Amino acid sequence: MTPFLPALTATRAPLLLSIMTIATAVLALSGVAFGSSWIPIDRVAAVILGAGDKTQSLIVLQLRLPRVVIAILAGGGMAVAGFLLQKITRNSLASPGVLGVIDGGALGVVIFLAALSDKSNTLVTSIVFQPLAAMAGATLGIAAVFLLSGSQSVSAVRLLLFGIAVGAVAKALVMVMMLVGPIYRTSQAARWIAGAVNEVNWTEIQITALLLLPLLALALAVARKLPPADLDEISARSVGLDLPVFRLLVFAVAAALTAVSVAFVGAIGFVGLMAPHLARLIVGRSMVAGIIGSFLLGAFMLVGADLVVRVLFSPTEVPAGTVTAIIGAPYFLFLLMSKQRHDG
Amino acid sequence: MTVPRARSARQSFAVTIAGLSALLITAMLVSVTVGYRLYGLDQLYHAVFAFDGSETATVLVNLRLPRAILAPMVGAGLGVAGVLVQTLSRNRIASPDTLGLNAGASLAVVLASATLGITSLTGLSLVAALGALLTSMLVFAIAAGAGGISPIRIVLIGVTIAGLGQSVVQLILTSNEAQMQNLLFWLAGSFVDRPMALAINGLPFIAAGAAIAFALVRPLDALQADDATAVSLGVPVSLVRIGCFLAISLLSGAAVAMAGPVSFVGLVVPHAARRLAGQRHGPLMLAAALIGAIYTTLADVLARFVIYPVEAPVGAVTAVVGGLVLVLLLRGRAA
Repeated sequence: MTPFLPALTATRAPLLLSIMTIATAVLALSGVAFGSSWIPIDRVAAVILGAGDKTQSLIVLQLRLPRVVIAILAGGGMAVAGFLLQKITRNSLASPGVLGVIDGGALGVVIFLAALSDKSNTLVTSIVFQPLAAMAGATLGIAAVFLLSGSQSVSAVRLLLFGIAVGAVAKALVMVMMLVGPIYRTSQAARWIAGAVNEVNWTEIQITALLLLPLLALALAVARKLPPADLDEISARSVGLDLPVFRLLVFAVAAALTAVSVAFVGAIGFVGLMAPHLARLIVGRSMVAGIIGSFLLGAFMLVGADLVVRVLFSPTEVPAGTVTAIIGAPYFLFLLMSKQRHDG
Repeated sequence: MTVPRARSARQSFAVTIAGLSALLITAMLVSVTVGYRLYGLDQLYHAVFAFDGSETATVLVNLRLPRAILAPMVGAGLGVAGVLVQTLSRNRIASPDTLGLNAGASLAVVLASATLGITSLTGLSLVAALGALLTSMLVFAIAAGAGGISPIRIVLIGVTIAGLGQSVVQLILTSNEAQMQNLLFWLAGSFVDRPMALAINGLPFIAAGAAIAFALVRPLDALQADDATAVSLGVPVSLVRIGCFLAISLLSGAAVAMAGPVSFVGLVVPHAARRLAGQRHGPLMLAAALIGAIYTTLADVLARFVIYPVEAPVGAVTAVVGGLVLVLLLRGRAA
């Protein structure tokens, strides 16, 4: 772990978080401004505030704003889930992807597409139920992890390994079902697995927000109680914290955050792994600042990724989830290389 | 976890190794004889020692035999590399994928195929080896630039590079979908249609990687706990890490060149091996090599039947089998 001077970061964290908020807001506005036609930022602001002509209102409110908003929610949610997992397991490789939640969701989607298609490969039900299938799959995935681990769920690394095992099985089943399935089903499933923020409507955003906001509040609440440094079971108990039970709670919150984040947009990769590390390098080790920082960076990464695919690949819709690493990774490597000078 | 081994423990370990070796030979024989068509051992004997150019002999020698030899090489390499990665990073959920070598190899293959039009298997495996090599150098250089290859840095830089590589692969794949269809099977990992030359070319790299790994047995034992202990025992920590890194690059670079990115082997095999052989690296890596070899060989056989008559990507089979095995292993330790 990279140690930091606590006094320095404690005073700088609010400033850094404000800068990150502004950066995310600017990026989100540009996300609305860019597209098949350029809408100047002041027009975007006018439309959002309720004034603006009809065409621009339609483009902004129905096409562009929804994808930016869902990108903020989903990217932020995944990042916070990753933050909680990395803190509670003390494992820098922990991420929402290793809990079995995302692969469970993917399996739910593939089974939904396979089971509810008729002989001519058209869905017999509406595609709007796909997120429901994803959510059910994700819930079953994490339930399997907890059930299988049983009493071993008190051990953080064991839980991660159970998550990896369940995830691997689900992922492989998805792979096989996609290989043998018809091309329509394969590409529809591939879309979910890559993670795309387009084609989201306001109802779906409302559902996501309604579920996500309480979870984020809960995440903030548990973060204040997260053991500050490398606390072992005995010292935890001595400060009145039942670590195993607490750890289960944190796992459950992280799993729920992940499931809600991926339901409508699909398996956005890398954000949940990278954003918490970036946050740690930028704002230091304070828990609350870490959660807020992770949310902002996760949102930034996904909004940025969506912007990149729109600018580079328009008019083809490339899923934003494929390029999330491109937004965060170079900066992360730069930080890793420059921060070491401050190492103690 | 482990108790110091008495003589009886050593003997029982020898029995374990003998049992695993017997299992491996059986698995290899099954791999040669069982598939879309069944052959007898006598036919195999004739095909190898009295090759007559018949269809049976040709299938056995040119199609079945190479994969029965390639699969255990890849599995053994990945098994040992997995142990090394988990010790180097002190992280039980790390695997050779964590260091980004598979992603680098995939990126090189996709790039070469998109820009240079390379489609032959031999060409692709050469490119994959090159990609893995360049990636390991890149990861190493960045880690060194960031102040030394400490466990945490290696892992963080590795996953970052892996994520970047995968992103670019996805981008290229989505932008020329039709052209890339034939690469998807390579990207899932497979032992189908590999020429024997691939195994022969891969052998020196696997051997060199294994030699380095087994030369490092004692320092690795010391490094397992923490740096301070290792230093106090007189272990040249940085040097050992560099050697370890080199061995991982050789082993998993050769593996990805021979079979494409086969997932999950490097993650689950070390856990199974630790169960059988304990924490000391000598027995541990020996067991990991054998278990890895058996695992991929049997997975390759299974891949022929999962979606019969088409072959499933072996990566999918290793993941399902490995996932179930991991659950059983973890549950077995519950008491």
